[in-house]
Amino acid sequence: MKLAWQNIIHDRSRFSVTVLGVSFAVFLMVFQGSLLVGFLRAASRLIDASDSDIWITARGVQAFEFGTTLESRVREMAAGVPGVMQTDRVCMAFAVYRTPKGKQQVVALVGADPNVGKRFPVPDVPELAGEISPDAVLYDVSDRDLIAVPVLPTEVEINRHRASIERQIQGYGAFLGVPFLFTSYRNAIRYLGFGPDDAMYVVLRVSKGSSVSDVKQSLQERLPEVDVLTRDEFAHKSRMYWTIKTGAGGAILTAAVLGFLIGLVVVSQTIYANTMENIEEYATLKALGAPKSLVARIVLTQALLCGAVGSILGLFAVIPVIDHAKSLIPWIYMPWWLPVLMVLPSMVMCSLASIASVRNALTVEPGRVFRA
Amino acid sequence: MPKSRLTNTVCEDASELASRSHYSAASAVKTEVEPDLSVHEGTSSRFLGVERATVSFGEGGARVCPLRGVSVMFKRGTFSLVMGPSGSGKTTLLSMLGCLLSPDQGSVFVDDVLVNQLSETEKTAIRQKKIGFVFQAFRLFHSLSAIDNVALGFELRDPKQSQRLEMAQELLDKFGLGDKSHQEPNELSPGERQRVAVARALAGDPPILLADEPTASLDAQAGRNICQILRNQVDEYGRTVVVVSHDPRWREFADRTITLCDGEIEQKENDL
Ligand SMILES: Nc1ncnc2c1ncn2[C@@H]1O[C@H](COP(=O)(O)OP(=O)(O)OP(=O)(O)O)[C@@H](O)[C@H]1O
Ligand SMILES: [Mg+2]
Repeated sequence: MKLAWQNIIHDRSRFSVTVLGVSFAVFLMVFQGSLLVGFLRAASRLIDASDSDIWITARGVQAFEFGTTLESRVREMAAGVPGVMQTDRVCMAFAVYRTPKGKQQVVALVGADPNVGKRFPVPDVPELAGEISPDAVLYDVSDRDLIAVPVLPTEVEINRHRASIERQIQGYGAFLGVPFLFTSYRNAIRYLGFGPDDAMYVVLRVSKGSSVSDVKQSLQERLPEVDVLTRDEFAHKSRMYWTIKTGAGGAILTAAVLGFLIGLVVVSQTIYANTMENIEEYATLKALGAPKSLVARIVLTQALLCGAVGSILGLFAVIPVIDHAKSLIPWIYMPWWLPVLMVLPSMVMCSLASIASVRNALTVEPGRVFRA
Repeated sequence: MPKSRLTNTVCEDASELASRSHYSAASAVKTEVEPDLSVHEGTSSRFLGVERATVSFGEGGARVCPLRGVSVMFKRGTFSLVMGPSGSGKTTLLSMLGCLLSPDQGSVFVDDVLVNQLSETEKTAIRQKKIGFVFQAFRLFHSLSAIDNVALGFELRDPKQSQRLEMAQELLDKFGLGDKSHQEPNELSPGERQRVAVARALAGDPPILLADEPTASLDAQAGRNICQILRNQVDEYGRTVVVVSHDPRWREFADRTITLCDGEIEQKENDL
């Protein structure tokens, strides 16, 4: 076994190439994985932020970002369904934002009733009373360059209405490049020019003791012209829309798989070359009576050592890069389990890469030791 | 190295191996230091050697037949030299004795066991337990220091051996390499490398030592040194040594010289 270590230490430059290959693959896999996880999270983050049980959307709405207005009677009728405890409204539409200096920018304006959810960023919740005005506008810290307000509060224009930017929030940064602004529901419909009873989404809570699926069913029966979804269903639909239907998820996943494959090629090339370079020594080892299992173990140990060191190096490189990337891609997100999970494929990669090498080392004729 | 160690480091699998051939387990395990005087019923001892062995390589027109019906036995505790012109089949003979090559026809005996019928795994076990190899090109592990090369020899013979570094150092000390034990092969002179290789071959007390042109890459002084070391293995430890060489200097160390010519035995000098 010492031979495995020593070969690696001795042929450092070759070892470095292998390790670089592995760390490159791990880097790419973790980075792309974080993009995918972050993208999935961002695709449904506002739905997840609601404390509601059920979301009512116009028929065929695929994602939160693409809602359209519901008839005003939907909310009234929903409120009358037995088991519905509370109904709130949410709207989202694109609007034109003007900075104090006159720079224009398209933004996604989100308005919601104060009771939609504790984590849902709106200004008119009781916790913020007295700190900011109920019609304040909130923006995410990662969008500060786009929003371009020098101090808080600052007067700006949204769709030619005066608005007051009063607070920075976190975790709701631009998704697909368009910054989000948050304000109270009544303020949002004023900026957007909706009627007082228009809503894009009616979100509702079911009273204790009623079953969500029963309520959902009676709602659907009474309101056949809209979609009634549980919160998780709508969140899932939104995520699937962004990742599958737009192909964005596929692109991210492809890059992660490519990272794995490129890593595999680099690693197998170097491990194979390394084995072939030392093939005479494997022949000697076998001539001296080393069992096949030992020979295989030596080759595999070398590969797995490369895998382990490469993984660690890749992780050390990717963590700061992801941190740094947050300023450009605010929704990128690396859960703790992602790097842990990536060590596994990198080990699998190294084992796969060493298959050909192990085979060669095992089949080398020990009889050649007397020749050459 | 104490002589007593010889007997208890010998092949544990020997009885199993022997039971597969038609020789008794008792005779396979036996590797006493004194020359083997025991004679099997009806046959003389076949400690190490080949009988009517024919080896060929390739097919059709490209077929070469480096050995044709060669019979030669090497007695326990003797030093034999195999000579002959290039291409006469010396290495081929040694490969058979080392369980690295099976003849097309004929028999190969190693430590009283008929080995040419054994499986690869069994032959590997015989090499591991019974045979030390010395090569012209040394074949040391390039990334391991001298002591680790020798320690690997001990490890291969007995993976549980925990004293292998101490024992390796002891062997190197004996061969005058005590102060170079931590140098890598490429930092050693050819003579020193070959001494390390011999130490590795001797690690774990194999009863048989096979060497192919062990001094061909060495200068005269280093060559003599190796000759003397191998001779001592016979005199002090009763090992059986077979050396293949073109080098006439070996004659004075050998008990017996066998000359091969064109795949056949031309001459057996001082036949024992
Ligand atoms: N694996 C092999 N495949 C084909 N031919 C072989 C093989 N091994 C040996 N030979 C041939 O068998 C013949 C004898 O080879 P061998 O190596 O035994 O000779 P040798 O006496 O050791 O010669 P030298 O003194 O040059 O080492 C040569 O003609 C060689 O080409
Ligand atoms: Mg030869």
